[in-house]
Formats: sequence, structure tokens, C-alpha cells
Amino acid sequence: MDVVPFVFDIAAYSAIFVLVVLGLGVIASMMGIFNFAHGEFVLLGAYTVYSFQEHGMPTWAGMIAAPFVVAFIGLILERLAIRRFYSAPIVAMLGTYAIALSLRETVRALLGGRFYSVNAPLVGSFVIGDASVSQWRTAVIIITALVMVGCWLLLTRTTLGLQVRASLENPALARASGISVNRVYAGTFAFGSALAGLAGALMVPMYSISADMGVPFLIKSFLAVMLGGMGSFEGSIAGAALVGATSAALPWAIKPVVADLLVFVLAIIIVKFRPEGLLSKTRR
Amino acid sequence: MSHDDTQQRLQSYARRLFIQRSSALAGMVALGGGSYILNPKGAWAADPIKVGIATDLTGAIGYAGIPNANVAKMVVEEINAAGGLLGRPLQIILEDTASNEQLAVTRVRKLVQKDKVDVVFGGITSSMRNAIKDTIVNRGKTLYIYPQLYEGLECTKYLYCTGPSPAQQCDTFIPWLIKNGGKKFFLPSADYVWPHELNKYARKVIEKSGGEVVDEVYFPVDHNEYSAVVSKIMSSGTNVVFNTTIPPGTPVFFKQLYEAGFQKKGGRLACVYYDENALNITPANEIEGLASCLDYFKAVNDPFGNKLQEKYTKLYGTKNPFTAGSASTGMWRGINLWAEAVKTAKSVKREDVDAALNKAKLADGPGGGCEMVPGTWHSKMNMYIAVAKGGKYEIIEKSPGMVDPRECLKA
Repeated sequence: MDVVPFVFDIAAYSAIFVLVVLGLGVIASMMGIFNFAHGEFVLLGAYTVYSFQEHGMPTWAGMIAAPFVVAFIGLILERLAIRRFYSAPIVAMLGTYAIALSLRETVRALLGGRFYSVNAPLVGSFVIGDASVSQWRTAVIIITALVMVGCWLLLTRTTLGLQVRASLENPALARASGISVNRVYAGTFAFGSALAGLAGALMVPMYSISADMGVPFLIKSFLAVMLGGMGSFEGSIAGAALVGATSAALPWAIKPVVADLLVFVLAIIIVKFRPEGLLSKTRR
Repeated sequence: MSHDDTQQRLQSYARRLFIQRSSALAGMVALGGGSYILNPKGAWAADPIKVGIATDLTGAIGYAGIPNANVAKMVVEEINAAGGLLGRPLQIILEDTASNEQLAVTRVRKLVQKDKVDVVFGGITSSMRNAIKDTIVNRGKTLYIYPQLYEGLECTKYLYCTGPSPAQQCDTFIPWLIKNGGKKFFLPSADYVWPHELNKYARKVIEKSGGEVVDEVYFPVDHNEYSAVVSKIMSSGTNVVFNTTIPPGTPVFFKQLYEAGFQKKGGRLACVYYDENALNITPANEIEGLASCLDYFKAVNDPFGNKLQEKYTKLYGTKNPFTAGSASTGMWRGINLWAEAVKTAKSVKREDVDAALNKAKLADGPGGGCEMVPGTWHSKMNMYIAVAKGGKYEIIEKSPGMVDPRECLKA
């Protein structure tokens, strides 16, 4: 079997998946909000790049703009709707689901229900031995690694990160220590949205844009967060890497239809034996 | 011509336009929730013949449903302008089935029970046809015409299929692929009824024509990672990838295949639902050389098709084009065949129209004429093989005469 494409494709798919889950994980594990609109934030990021291309601007510029655009939309939604849900997680699920539907159908109307391709800033492949390796996928792997490290440094090594973690762990105490908890919550939600937007922007050249592009990622992303363990940033990444890698690796060995199911079965078995998640100990 | 004269003419034109548009608006009475009645223009003494259209104007299949409704409106207006049928005008009752089968059953029940339509056209996906056919044909005792290319095997009395069958899409196409690609076929597919049944038929034709099937792999319909199958395709020395995956998976699959160098190494990509609409799904260079086989392409460049395209574009613009892969040609054929049958039968009663429709034919149409094969509820039509080149299709081969659907034949 060819080792190069096998390893590369698993790494590439896991990278995309980590990028999607990162934003979801930040919001879910730090704020306790299960954001059902996350897939649509990914879609909005992709749509930003698509509209840049439609207006004759380079797609890399769209990719830089996408996180900011989606962060802004996330911020508005947080101020208007999400902040009312913090005390009621079930209502939050329904509320974000409603937001998801309206965003998705709006984009569907804008696209006329069609699929459109978006050009990657890097086209072509590297040839390694017998195998070809997509340049853009390589770039995505590198960007994901950088974003991952950046987020981790931000949350663990800066004062801002400390304030964020403090507000999310114990809002009352944080407020008493002079941190504006409201602002931190809004900022965190916008940050999570920005990560989703970036994920959408980077993946759209591989997936082509359509209204439903975020949907297949949503359930598996929740699975990853659950698997990694709620309340930990590293956990979400580990969960995402595991779900992404198994989703990409299993079809090499067994029928894809069965593989899809098996990912969930494996995850459920792991959660049964480690109900607190893969990396639950590291944060104690 | 003096300035005043021009001014007056312009004003008179604007007034006429206003009257035309407001009457069009009055003619299209929305009944709320995706039901519309489109009344015939002008004054008619006789009661209208009611034509039910049930199609997906919204939701995932809307890209095909909207042009389908447009074609229906256009053809019905043409028939009305030519004096209607049996001295009666046609009235369209249009229902949005919203890409949702449960909702569609209710909508269709309204058409046959409350509106008592004389015929129903519509449905795009096979799941939609299967959901609504019983309500129309058996319980509703109404004639039903289904316009989309599909997997075949629909042999229900009073249910006519006017899109291409697997035989029409494969019989000339697969031998051509063997000649212009190679003998080793790979069949990557989405896991639902159309790919399963189409592959069964395609496999027979491939083996009969001296080719072989390397593998047939099914993916969940929303699958988006194809590296394993791409690697299998590349390492097995596959010559032809006969694709039946559907978007959103298709663009990812085609890109991975392209990046792995499948075309560069002489591989041939084939996909039988690929029409002009599908060209936007991937960048043009990734599907360079993709071959498709349908009953019509714009590139056929026939006088009839060109005139129809021109009229359609004038009426509805270019956003929802008239294409074969999204059932537009099937809808055009269906309504015109039915109209011929009504004229021959001199009646709109189901039994009478059915008897006439069973052997109805059209001398011309987009891509050529067509002809019902008696006793099979399917129609013969010309088929074209086209290859994508630089984001456009080029017609490579036209079938020698009309191709037989080979459906519902008694052994």
C-alpha cells in the first residue's frame, strides 16, 4: 500500500476537522453552549471567500477577511440572542438550531440552491515518489498547526487568556476581581465564531460552496468535543484528531458506509470507559 | 420623428407594460404556503383543463424544481396561445413540494382531491416519485407524468416516465467509454436507490461489451472524504471512473481524483447526470475530459433547441437554465406528449388519455423528437455523448436514431 497518500490524507482531513472543532470546543467547553449554528458559521466563512471571488478579488484576501466577518456576525448574535441562553442550555440548543436554519436558508437563497467552486490560492500538487500531494491541503495542515499553537498560547500564556479562563470557570469570582464577564463572554463567542469562519474559508476550495456544507461536520464535531472531554481546550483537539483520523482511515480497510457508523460506535465505547473524556486529568 | 412623438410612444408603451404586468400578477394568485394558481390569459368560454404541477421550488432540489416549473408555465402558455386543448384553456395549479416527501404527499393529495386536476406532472428525485405516486395514481385515480432521468423499473399503469432510463444512458455510452478510455471501470457511488440500480445495469453493459468492473463502492450520501477510494482507483490501474456520487461529495471526490493525477495518467471520468448546471460544481480544469450522456445539451445546437433556449432565457433569465440533467427536457416532453394525447383522444378522461398517450409521439423537440414505446410507459429519444472541454460541453457522438428505453418489457 502507498504510505505517503495514506498518511497525508489522514493528516489533511484531521487538520480540517480540528479546525472546525476548535471553535466549537472553545464555545462548548468554556461557555457550556452547544452551538448548533456552528456548521453555519463555517458556511459563512466559506461564503465570504466565495463573494470575494465573485467580486473579482483574490481568494486569499477573502480567507483573511473571513474570520473577522464571521466574528462580527457572531458578536451581533451573541449580543442579540445567545447571551439570553447562558442559564438555559437546552433552550440554547433550540435557539442556536433556529439561528442555524435561518442562516443556512438565507445562504441557499443567495446561491440559488447551487454548488460553486472556489479557487484555492495554491493550485497543483507536489510529487513525492509515485504519489501526488495537494499543495493546498499541505497549506491547510500547516495553518491548522499554527492556529492550534496560537490558541493554546493565547489561552494559557497571556493575561487575556487568564481572564477568559477565570470568567468561564467562576463568573462570580471573576466579576468580584474586576473582570467584565459580559465582555469576556461576548469576546469568547466571537473568537469561537472566528475560528469557524477560518475553517470554512480554508476548506471551501476543497469542498465547493453549497448551503449544506457545514451540516456533515456538525454531529461529528459534537462527538469530538464529547470524546475529548468538556471543559478542556486540549481535549477538544485530541477528540477532533481522533474522530478525524478514524473517519479518514477506516474507509481504507472497510466499506465506507460501515466505516461511518463504526466511528460513532468506537466513540461511544471510549466514552463508556472514560466518561470524562480523553484528557480529563490534565486540567485537574 | 419629433421629440413629443417619441415621448408619447414611450408613455404608451409603459402603460401597456404596466397593464400586462399587473394582469400577470392578478393571474398568479398565491394561496399561501407554496400553492399557486396560474390562470390562462384572456377570456375563455369553456372551463379550464386543470394541470397539476408538484415540484421542489424550495429546499435542496430547488435548483431543478424552479426550471421545471418555468418550463411547465412556458409550454402551457404556448398551448393556450395556440387555442388551448379541445377548445378549453389550461390552468396550472402549482404546488411546492419543498424537497420534503412528507409534505409533498399532503400537497399532492390537495391537487387530486380538492382541486381535482386532470393530470399531475412533477417530482424530481426517485424518493419523491415513490412518495407521491400512490396518492396520485391509485387513490387519486389521476394520470401522473415523471420527468427526471432515473434508475428505471417504474412500471406502474398511468405513470409515465419521460426522462432517460439506464439503458438510454448506458447502451451507447459505455461502449464509447471502453473505446475512448479503457476496459477497467470503477463505480464510486452514493448509497441510495439510483446509483444501486444504475450500477446494476451499467455492470451488465460493461461486461457484455468486454470491459470489467474493478470495484463498486458506496458512500453515505453526505460523505466528504474520498482518499481511500482515490488511492484504490490509482493503484488498480482503472481506466474509467463511472461516477454516481452526488454533491456535496462529488466536488471533493473529483478534486482528490484530479490531484492524484487520474486524468494526467490517461484516466477518463464519466458521470451521466452531468449537464450545464453541474459545470459550476468544480473548477473547469478538474473535470476536463469528463464525459456525460444525456438527451439534450445546449451544444447540440439544433434549431428547435436553440429557439427554445432563446425563448426560455427571455422569459426567465439565465439563473435557472433549461438543462437535461435537472428534468427540464423531461418536463417539456411530458406536457407536449400529454397535450398530443388529449388532442387524439378528444377527451381529458384518464382512460382515454392513457390509451392515446401509450403511443403518442412528437416530431421535434430539444435534441430531437420522441416516441412512447407502447405498453411500457417510457419513451424513445435521441441521446448525445458530450465531453467537457474548458468549462463547456462538446458533442462527440449522436445516437444513430432514437434509443430504446428497454423498460417494462415483458420477458
